[in-house]
Amino acid sequence: MDAADPLPDNMPPDLPGAGRSRSHLRLVVPTSPSDGAERDQLDDWMVAVATCHDREAFASLFRHFAPRLKAWLWRTGSASEEAEELTQDAFVLLWRKAAQFNPERANVGAWLFTIARNLRIDRRRAIHDTWTTLDDMEFQGVADSGDGQEAELSRRQYDERVRAAMLRLTPDQRTLVQLSFYEEMSHSRIAAHLKMPLGTVKTRLRSAASCLRNLLEECRP
Amino acid sequence: MIRHHPDDSLLLAHAGSSLDTGPALLVESHLEGCARCRQVVRGFERVGGQLLEVESGQPLGQGALEAVLARLDAPVRVPPPPVVRPKPPLPAGYNWPRALRHCRVSRWRAMGPGMRWSRVSVPHDPLANVLLLRIGAGKCLPRHTHTGTELTQVLCGSFDDGRAVFGPGDFDEADADVLHQPVVQAQGECVCLAAVDGRLVFDSWIARLASSVVGL
Repeated sequence: MDAADPLPDNMPPDLPGAGRSRSHLRLVVPTSPSDGAERDQLDDWMVAVATCHDREAFASLFRHFAPRLKAWLWRTGSASEEAEELTQDAFVLLWRKAAQFNPERANVGAWLFTIARNLRIDRRRAIHDTWTTLDDMEFQGVADSGDGQEAELSRRQYDERVRAAMLRLTPDQRTLVQLSFYEEMSHSRIAAHLKMPLGTVKTRLRSAASCLRNLLEECRP
Repeated sequence: MIRHHPDDSLLLAHAGSSLDTGPALLVESHLEGCARCRQVVRGFERVGGQLLEVESGQPLGQGALEAVLARLDAPVRVPPPPVVRPKPPLPAGYNWPRALRHCRVSRWRAMGPGMRWSRVSVPHDPLANVLLLRIGAGKCLPRHTHTGTELTQVLCGSFDDGRAVFGPGDFDEADADVLHQPVVQAQGECVCLAAVDGRLVFDSWIARLASSVVGL
């Protein structure tokens, strides 16, 4: 086990999953500093949905996020039909649970990401109670309501710092973080995918994840 | 106060839902009691939201938005009451983690003087190796190491395994590099949730015999 080995340059283009090429192992960090205003707009739409049941704002959110969400669900293992259903279900839940949205705790993209992720977990676990995980979010929200330090920093500033934190990871670290987190690959699948010993993958993932956590903590006020 | 937390890579994998069933249950149980780790996970989820932003997008089916809009005002289905499986009693003052509510937990079975264990069955993944250990005050588990990874979440009581003291809410990860003998502290019995990947390797033949009965 040699933690100094670089990751292979030519990684197989396909991730496990029906033999289709779903992967985009390019760096998927948004780099344009000008999209902060757009993200504020997205959060504003979400607040309008939460406070005024604004269907126009809801439709705008749907047009922006639904194709992205469907693409992510498909690329990380859902069949096309399931990705479509989960996307639609996620938006219905977003509407019904909108009052729980707290812009100081999450941006709308992160919130939608967690809704869709939890819906898919429930489906995989055959828990036909789509409220379960959302109730968990509510439960945790209540428990955490006292630690709102993030409110001191504007949402846009925070998002920009998070983006900057990701850019400060090394390319190898970003690849590992992306495989573990964004591609939903278990450690053993990453080891097989990268043709590396499991121990090496675990060691490097620990280092990459703690580097990301430290950078995110620096982002916080 | 919680002093031992899951490794950041476990929290990252939890945020991306790439943990196997056993580790996922352990991490979820820990998060229920640990605001610090919930905050770390929220940071990682924020990264997830940003990554969603740069997806290239895949068109939805014809009329998808209209279909969703039509569902917004539909009467909310009253969710069926969650199926909560009965659990054996815990020492007074302690509750089962919510993460286990769908799981079956067998009755306590003896595995040695002052030592009991119980199997946690996960409905959607019968192969997940998750169990509970309930060890009396002052008792110790036989010295052992691991062929894989052993994750432990302390539900009540505390133990000292020579590396550190682990109390209620603490999380531990031990692998083949760790040879330890957890000793429960004198104040009261200790109940731990454990997810084992691989087997435990005990020093003594009596413990090996007992472990083969438990399936470790």
